[in-house]
Amino acid sequence: MTGLTISAGEGVLFWILAPLMVLGALSLLFARRTVHIAVSIAGVMVGLAVMYIANEATFLGVAQVVVYTGAVMMLFVFVIMLVGVDSTESLTETLRGQRWLAALSALGLAILLGAVVTRAVLPEPVGLAAANADSNPVAVARLVFSDFVFAFELTGALLITAAVGALSLTHRVRLGIKVDQRTLAEAKLKRYGAGGDATLVVNRPGPGVYARHNSADMPAVDAAGNPVEESITTVLRVRGQERELPSAEELADAGHPYGSPAVEAPTGTQAKEIDA
Amino acid sequence: MFVAPHIEWAALTPVLILLGAAVIGVLVEAFVPRASRRLVQLALSALAVAGALVAVTWRWTVVQSSGPRELVAGALREDGPALLAQAVLLVLSLLALLVIADRSRGEDGFAPTAAAVPGSEYEDQARRAGLAQTEVFPLTMFAVTGMLVFPAAADLLTMFIALEVLSLPLYLLAGLARYRRLLSQEASLKYFLLGAFSSAFFLMGLALLYGYAGSVRLDELAVAVPAMAGMDGLLLAGSALVIVGLLFKVGAVPFHAWTPDVYQGAPTSVTGFMAACTKVAAFAALLRFVYVVTPGLTWDLAPFLWTVAILTMVVGTVLAIVQTDMKRTLAYSSVAHAGFLLLGVIALDERGIGGVIFYLLAYGLATVGSFGLVSLVRTKDADGNVTSEAGHLSEWAGLGRRSPVLAVSFALFLLSFAGIPLTAGFTGKFAVFSAAVAGGAWPLVVVAVLASAAAAFFYVRIIVLMFFTEPPVAEDGSSTTVVRTEGLTAVAVVVCAVGTVLLGVVPSAILAITAQASKFLL
Amino acid sequence: MSLVNYLVLAGILFAIGSAAVLVRRNSIVAFMGVELMLNAANLTLVTFARMHGDLSGQVIAFFVMVVAAAEVVIGLAIIVSIFRTRGSASLDDASLLKS
Repeated sequence: MTGLTISAGEGVLFWILAPLMVLGALSLLFARRTVHIAVSIAGVMVGLAVMYIANEATFLGVAQVVVYTGAVMMLFVFVIMLVGVDSTESLTETLRGQRWLAALSALGLAILLGAVVTRAVLPEPVGLAAANADSNPVAVARLVFSDFVFAFELTGALLITAAVGALSLTHRVRLGIKVDQRTLAEAKLKRYGAGGDATLVVNRPGPGVYARHNSADMPAVDAAGNPVEESITTVLRVRGQERELPSAEELADAGHPYGSPAVEAPTGTQAKEIDA
Repeated sequence: MFVAPHIEWAALTPVLILLGAAVIGVLVEAFVPRASRRLVQLALSALAVAGALVAVTWRWTVVQSSGPRELVAGALREDGPALLAQAVLLVLSLLALLVIADRSRGEDGFAPTAAAVPGSEYEDQARRAGLAQTEVFPLTMFAVTGMLVFPAAADLLTMFIALEVLSLPLYLLAGLARYRRLLSQEASLKYFLLGAFSSAFFLMGLALLYGYAGSVRLDELAVAVPAMAGMDGLLLAGSALVIVGLLFKVGAVPFHAWTPDVYQGAPTSVTGFMAACTKVAAFAALLRFVYVVTPGLTWDLAPFLWTVAILTMVVGTVLAIVQTDMKRTLAYSSVAHAGFLLLGVIALDERGIGGVIFYLLAYGLATVGSFGLVSLVRTKDADGNVTSEAGHLSEWAGLGRRSPVLAVSFALFLLSFAGIPLTAGFTGKFAVFSAAVAGGAWPLVVVAVLASAAAAFFYVRIIVLMFFTEPPVAEDGSSTTVVRTEGLTAVAVVVCAVGTVLLGVVPSAILAITAQASKFLL
Repeated sequence: MSLVNYLVLAGILFAIGSAAVLVRRNSIVAFMGVELMLNAANLTLVTFARMHGDLSGQVIAFFVMVVAAAEVVIGLAIIVSIFRTRGSASLDDASLLKS
């Protein structure tokens, strides 16, 4: 068999990708926001896909993008969104010295693995040109359905388990009566008839839109001039990102009280003068 | 060109029966009305396990007459140790299944629906509506399938996938306890994270061994072990990582952190299943790997394995003595037993294989039986509501007077754990220790005997507590009670107790069978 | 440039992943650490496959992907159910089990 020659281009590719991947992986240890970590790891997965292709594993490279970046990491992102995107984690230690111990053992592991692979007298690389003669996917498929056919069938059990498990942990059978739109509306009217608030039957107000503020983080204003808190989406309120309504004085200074257009409605060049 | 592999369907029957039952079980969930679902599932699972046991017995006779062989392009081995471990596994699974299925006053040990938030109104509704999470049965069947493949796996990839097939359902089952749901869910998460962590180590070991030999088949690895100079680092690190992954499943000491928490948090019936059957599967796989691949590495791996074995025996015993919770005590005792079993692995002596499998049978019977009994002893609050299991040791005081039969059988299992003569535990310990002496590991045997003596102390302490201590008077008016069930647990416990005594008094028949299974097919 | 570089990179990624599992208290992050470890093992397999001129390493890596996908589904389902109970995905919050 002829030996394998590795092109200089592959070396360049490696030395560009590898530091980026290590950097992305390090976010696991140092980044605070879970979303940032998930996106960095997704980047590492893409880097791995490129390396697979460089290593003559075309099929795996594509599968890596589809399975890991496309499915697994996106599933992670979904769950992070579900759990709360702003959930940061306190990095204070609960067990004293545990972090150093962990860092030390990880460093030891890295050195051990590095030493093992660098000191081993590895055989002269052969390359996969011969094995991939009929194209890589075909060659891989032949192996999957011959030597590894039992493992292939067995993974079926895994996938069924995963589906059944996820379903039984999250699927709820409806136990009460189904509440449809009609019963909901009737119940609302009933409560209104019994002296409930009018907001029960009409739409809730949307966020406020004014001459100077038209973003979703401003509350609407009721007839008495008070802010309506629930007009802002829950997410913004939970995160504390909603904005205070400007006070009546500020607005009067600027010349536009609520509900009325500015004394001189700003048009074109005049806007500057009013702001000043 | 592509050559279709030859598939030995007959030899695969035990696996196929179980896998089929699991898949049909999933369909039963979809199509059978809720009222009859549990009965159908129970009958299906019990028949499947019993059928697989019959099939394994049949394969045993075939192997006895026509010799061991490899199956499905070398993915599996059909040889004495594999079939014997599978038989032990199926016997224990059948008993554990009875405990899992049992109900007291219409309620099994599992949450009415796992999707309900603990303590929510919906959970209450579900309980009143009498929902039951019958997915437990197909999940158990999947786990048993994985366990069945695990000891027979002849390449590391099949082993890895079997490991996952047996683990994933167990992660789920651990989180389904009816009472103390938070504890149970946390156990599930811990088991999952540490389990996935350890399987990553197994996988890295697999990758390094592949780099060493260019194959993951155990027979090719065994051939390559003496051949390659200069690559020992890969071989050694790879073998060590694979062994670490297996030791985790076994619960040996530096890798035991999950054991007490998971044993305590999981539904008790599942704890019994997992403690007994996972150990059988994992030890059988460990035996195959160590006996087939690493005999040439004895000198390199011995320091590692000896340290693990000593630590496991000592730490397991010492921590079991200081526990105050019944399930945690049994968990640490199971850690100590893993240490004793490791002696048979380290022995690298032909008698070690049969000895370990016999020990696993003895230990498994006592484990399924004792956890079955633990699931019956419950706390009754002042209003007379029977709730969760009586976990604290003090709650077991004086049980011998009120429920003598339960207490006597529990005492029997404890004596078997302790290795007192005339119980199965003694025979098992004797078989494993004598194999270890024959294999030259006598210093380990000395440690093991000392640890057994220390362990006997806390087993006897529990027995004294049950028979010679007054029951405590709780301030809040709660008391300990033994619940009545449909009787499935009672059947399982009786079988376990009879087995424990028989294996202790007349072990020769089973010992003769295990002695025949002393050689792995390369 | 030699193929050993890939193996060293895999070793580094594996170690970083394992450190994340040991250090981070957020179960989602710890789980991502496990995923990184599996991927590092895959890179090792692919590199050795090229070195030996034998495709079975690639096939094994392919199976690992399938296994990892199933594992992710189970793991995230467990994490979500815990989050619904407790409002947090941290391993430490309300740790009921003694460690």
